[in-house]
Amino acid sequence: MTRQGLLDLLKTRVVLLDGGMGTALMKAGLQPGTPGELWNLENPDAVRGVHAAYFEAGSDVAQTNTFGGNPERLKSYGLSDRFEEINAAAVRLAREAAGPDRLVAGNIGPSGKFLPPVGDAVPEALEEGYAAQAEVLARSGADYIAVETMMDLKEALLALLGVRRGAPDRPVSMCMVFEKKKRGFFSPMGDKPGDAARALADEGADLVGANCSMGSAQMREMAASMVLEGGAPAVMKPNAGLPETVGAQTVYRQAPEDFAADVLAMTEAGARVVGGCCGTDERFIAALHRALGRPTS
Amino acid sequence: LDFTKRNTLMQLDELWAAQKSAVLKGDKKSAADLAAKALEMDADLLECIERGFGAGIREVGDLWEAGDYFLPELVQGAEAMKAGMAVMAVIQPALKARQQDRKLEGTVVIGTLAGDIHDIGKTLVATFLEANGFKVFDLGKDVPIEKFIDTAERESADLLCLSALLTTTMTGQARLIETLQEKGLRDRFAVMIGGAPVSADYAAKIGADAYGANAVDALNEALRLMERS
Repeated sequence: MTRQGLLDLLKTRVVLLDGGMGTALMKAGLQPGTPGELWNLENPDAVRGVHAAYFEAGSDVAQTNTFGGNPERLKSYGLSDRFEEINAAAVRLAREAAGPDRLVAGNIGPSGKFLPPVGDAVPEALEEGYAAQAEVLARSGADYIAVETMMDLKEALLALLGVRRGAPDRPVSMCMVFEKKKRGFFSPMGDKPGDAARALADEGADLVGANCSMGSAQMREMAASMVLEGGAPAVMKPNAGLPETVGAQTVYRQAPEDFAADVLAMTEAGARVVGGCCGTDERFIAALHRALGRPTS
Repeated sequence: LDFTKRNTLMQLDELWAAQKSAVLKGDKKSAADLAAKALEMDADLLECIERGFGAGIREVGDLWEAGDYFLPELVQGAEAMKAGMAVMAVIQPALKARQQDRKLEGTVVIGTLAGDIHDIGKTLVATFLEANGFKVFDLGKDVPIEKFIDTAERESADLLCLSALLTTTMTGQARLIETLQEKGLRDRFAVMIGGAPVSADYAAKIGADAYGANAVDALNEALRLMERS
């Protein structure tokens, strides 16, 4: 999809993303310690099934199962040599579920490394990893690139640079994680949501926003601070509250309707792209679909 | 180069204040220098840890909780503290002998579970525990359950601290507790868990003894567990 195409779509309506992937794959039997991205090759039906369930629930976009598919992360699992294969297969599976009319976002997560002073990551190496993953995702047919869960604005800016180099003709969505502190919302590195949104938009991000780390009730409080007047449209992807466990399963107890009410409020505050992160499943997306007043298919 | 003269002129409380300040500023070099100064002055090293470097890291924790400090300051503070400790460890035999006098809070085995490559939060908890009188065995990241248990048995640990930063690895915390039960070892070790996707509720459900929401909280919980045992 072209940059203009995505922006035009967002002018006409709120775009509904999907929900969590990692938690969905675990429900389907993914064992702890196995990277979910490996299932793009070894259990493609399960991955395609998760996408299909989200489309059934009303999603406009499937985000590829490539959150941990960057070269750094795959290296830590001894999967470096399957980098291209894993990312390409993920786009193919999402496209098979999406068909020609719905969107596929090539998902990119953090490198897992930290820049100085927190860690010893080399900026050029990080940027190169993001460029390489974006290139494979775009070449395999992703409509846009969605970078998520960035903890550090500096790394997010490097990721953005890398993605623009690796996939120059694709729109880019940039999401960071924020936490509520006594003095307001900050990233773990101390970046403020509004400042981060502006910095990313200034560097050419087409969408900017927040994902993960918070449940919907908290993220609702900060949604307005990321809505830029006349700037890049805002993305909001909260978790389904806090996780609990039943037996060996991790579950999230928030009612999908409560989640949907919070996210609806975020769209009223100006968010244009919404969905769910950890713990949200197709029930949450279906509830959000209803809350947005979409006709049921 | 009249270091000795200057050092002896330096009052102990000045030294401690400078050590604390080096940690607050995250100044590794200055922390190492001030540790060397403590050696030259023949100052009580355990007091330096408690009133100097340790006081610094505790204040760093408070500032982080308040939202005045963030991850970079927290990490730099911990690194400065470690730099100071490393210099003083040069005379470790002496320090170890003194450790007998110092009240040992407990022995801790800490690590991030297999499948997870995050270790900043875990390393901070280890630093805070060490600064507050715990003997800490940090197994690093991507640690298999068996290694946790073997180390805990070998070192007669009091407490196991398990970190998981991914929803896909947090179930390892539950499995470790199950494995302890199967081996009949559950009563021998207290278990504390932490990590972004983890909650107090989750800790209670899987039968952990405590949940550390952050490094400061983890320290308080560890002290509470040691009091109880």
